[in-house]
Amino acid sequence: MGQEGSQQLAAGFPVARRTVNRSCWIVLSLAALVGCGTGRPNAVTVYVSEDQIFSESILKDFKRETGIKVNAVFDTEEAKSTGVMNRLLAEKNNPQADVYWANEPVRADVLRQQGISTPYKPVSAAEIPDRFKDQQGYWTGFSARARLLVVNKAASIKPASALAYVDPKTKGKGVIANPLFGTTTAQMAALFTLWGDEKGKQFLAGLKNNKVKLSTSNGESADFVASGEFEFALVDSDDAVDRVRHGKPLEIVYPDQGEGEVGVLILPNAVALIRGGPNAENGKKLIEYLVSKETERKLAFADCAQIPLHPGVATPKEIKPIEQTKTMNVNYADLGAKLQAIQPILKEWVGY
Amino acid sequence: MAAVVVLAIVGLLPLCLMVGSSLWVDGSLSSRNYVEVLGNARTWILFRNSLVLATLTTAVAGLAGVSLGILVARTDLPFSSSIAVVFSLPLLFPPYILAVGWFEILGRGGILARWIPIGETTSRWLFGLPGAVLVLGSAFLPIVLLLTITYLRGMNPSLEQAARLSAGWPAVLRRITIPLITPGILLSLVLVFLLSMGEFGAPAFLRIDVFPVASFTQSSAFYNFGAATAAAMPLIAVVLAGLLMIQRILHGRAYSFRWGGQSTLERIPLGRKKPIVLLAVVVLAAILVGVPLAGVLWRGSSVAALSDALQRAGESAIRSFVYAGLSATFLSVLGFFVAYLVYRRSVAGWWSVDALALFLFTLPGTVLGIGLIALWNHPSTNWIYATPAMLMIGFVAQYAALSSRIVLAGFSQMSPSLEEAAEVAGAGWFRRVFGILTPLVRPALLASWAVTFVFCLRDVALPLLLASPGRDTLTARTMTLMANGSSELIAALCLLAVLLALLPLGAIGIAWRLWRTPA
Repeated sequence: MGQEGSQQLAAGFPVARRTVNRSCWIVLSLAALVGCGTGRPNAVTVYVSEDQIFSESILKDFKRETGIKVNAVFDTEEAKSTGVMNRLLAEKNNPQADVYWANEPVRADVLRQQGISTPYKPVSAAEIPDRFKDQQGYWTGFSARARLLVVNKAASIKPASALAYVDPKTKGKGVIANPLFGTTTAQMAALFTLWGDEKGKQFLAGLKNNKVKLSTSNGESADFVASGEFEFALVDSDDAVDRVRHGKPLEIVYPDQGEGEVGVLILPNAVALIRGGPNAENGKKLIEYLVSKETERKLAFADCAQIPLHPGVATPKEIKPIEQTKTMNVNYADLGAKLQAIQPILKEWVGY
Repeated sequence: MAAVVVLAIVGLLPLCLMVGSSLWVDGSLSSRNYVEVLGNARTWILFRNSLVLATLTTAVAGLAGVSLGILVARTDLPFSSSIAVVFSLPLLFPPYILAVGWFEILGRGGILARWIPIGETTSRWLFGLPGAVLVLGSAFLPIVLLLTITYLRGMNPSLEQAARLSAGWPAVLRRITIPLITPGILLSLVLVFLLSMGEFGAPAFLRIDVFPVASFTQSSAFYNFGAATAAAMPLIAVVLAGLLMIQRILHGRAYSFRWGGQSTLERIPLGRKKPIVLLAVVVLAAILVGVPLAGVLWRGSSVAALSDALQRAGESAIRSFVYAGLSATFLSVLGFFVAYLVYRRSVAGWWSVDALALFLFTLPGTVLGIGLIALWNHPSTNWIYATPAMLMIGFVAQYAALSSRIVLAGFSQMSPSLEEAAEVAGAGWFRRVFGILTPLVRPALLASWAVTFVFCLRDVALPLLLASPGRDTLTARTMTLMANGSSELIAALCLLAVLLALLPLGAIGIAWRLWRTPA
């Protein structure tokens, strides 16, 4: 048995050698994989809150035109516009991103307050009005969305103001996206800024009293209204235009356009350079590209139908040019501060 | 010992750090996170939602899985192997794909709504508890089915044969067969319950407020790790309770089952009921598996949609494949040594290694992901954090239990005397392990690789949290493209995920058959 066993073991030894060889290959592959994540000079890392479906093609164009590889992190629907921003906050002492592409400027300003972004004034944004840019260059706005009302064509009422939500006549007929996420948070911060905290809280209480339905996103709100489940909703202009283009029975209403009314909240995309990012120079190139007229034109005629902020860039027929719209007179930096201040109120209101 | 250290580093350490840092608020020891989260009524509402969803899912999957398992493994039902394969298909891809498939059928603009104007009702039904139970029930049914089949085939046939001398099949099934496989059934039910509690993708798609979604939101939307950890505690408590239950169920007979022993078992004749039973099983398969997959196929199989999906997610699909393949390879190696440790019981506290692996498997991916970020997100460890290795560490931590259990089943079919004889003959440890044991458990290693490959491929929560910038997986990309992505694109992405799982497994299956066929 001993001799036979030894022979078997001898026969089995090449198996051991092969196993070791394979293990070496695995270790080498893993090492290569680990290595491929660091030290990539001709690359830029961007965290993106704008919908991937719209933003990714722009990033691909950038890569094609400049040869700079783009590593992007996108948000999920559930954590829209908050997930990656908060990832930036968590990575403050170990930044992974060079650029943050926010779908609104409020959270970009939070990054300034937290010392996560660094000033950079892109040359391509020289013609964009100053009110859509941080004065010190911590963020630059481009390609905006407007917060519009979508109303079902068969609706019994035709709201023309955000205050329609708290009108007893519309009880149970309105739907709004969760104000903890996305642009609805910015809307709430704007209303609290313009009205003051007391009226803002009354508005929130009014929403509950008027049985306003809470949806998970602006897109879902627009779908609810299109299906007739609810009669109206405050959504982003891209959500509204998308549904109208797909033949949904919706009317787009620019709210609060009358004398003495607050106007429409305009939310430009905002791009910020991250302090200490691994590829700052490429980050600056990406920022120049994003705020250019060409990118604004592309985003205007994409399905998101965003409003160009550069003068002279054409807009699609479904949306009004910025010059013809009464817009909310808000300072986005104030909104950023207000957003942080009202977050506990919103969390309590939603029940988190 | 290296296997124990690896498991501790990838799994235990992040959890300890996570709990420790959740108790450290503003530079001092504090229970604030726990008081805030656990004192919030919403926490307990979500917990109740998760419990209800998991209980109903377990009931549905258990009832259907056990019945089907008995039909497939013990009766003369025709096409039984094919039926088992069809019902097991949902295990190959993430549950949210079934949800997307059902959405194409039952959604407001779905196929059903085109014929009958009940889209509103069916949509409301789908985006609620019944829809979530249907999706998760059919997704986890294969676990019950496969474990029932495994335990049935591993039974000692003499017990049944003796009972058959004095009783008919119904009585034998009730009094002998089912009690004998009860540990297997209970194990599968506990696993389904825990996996349902921790499932993220399908409830997120169906807008169900459950615990893992809340935990993900706390970390992703608020990035409050302390609160996210506190929010995870009730889930961890449930997992620990389930784990204790599994340990009690498996005590002393965990590894006594064997593979491929059905030839000695007598098949129960279905008689005249055979066509009716077959029809019922086919209809059930069509409803649970065929309909949602047909929904995905119908919406996403156009050339334009597939081309768009490939263009947008082709690289992600390749990455998914590579990450899953590498992780499965590492998992098989780790599983081999963990299984060896448990099999030989050579280290004091061997059971704790096995228990830790199982604990990590049942822990929701969102919780594990948060712990790993807390551990590795530092400049000194950036060479790990900023690379795909981070995701693979997550996979290894989450699925070590699968590989170790499968390899352990391989060890259990082998006589310990082989290794002992080699030791007496003077073979060193290295020779014994690589020259004798490895070739003998090769089938188990291959099975371990295939199973862990599929689980890594279908994972959603870990890639969403841990994939490094620009290196997402197909599942993560599908979730992020859901924001305003067309339903055709989402369905095509799901189709791509299904193909990605089926093609390599099909190739492995064919290779296995060829290898087993005598020359």
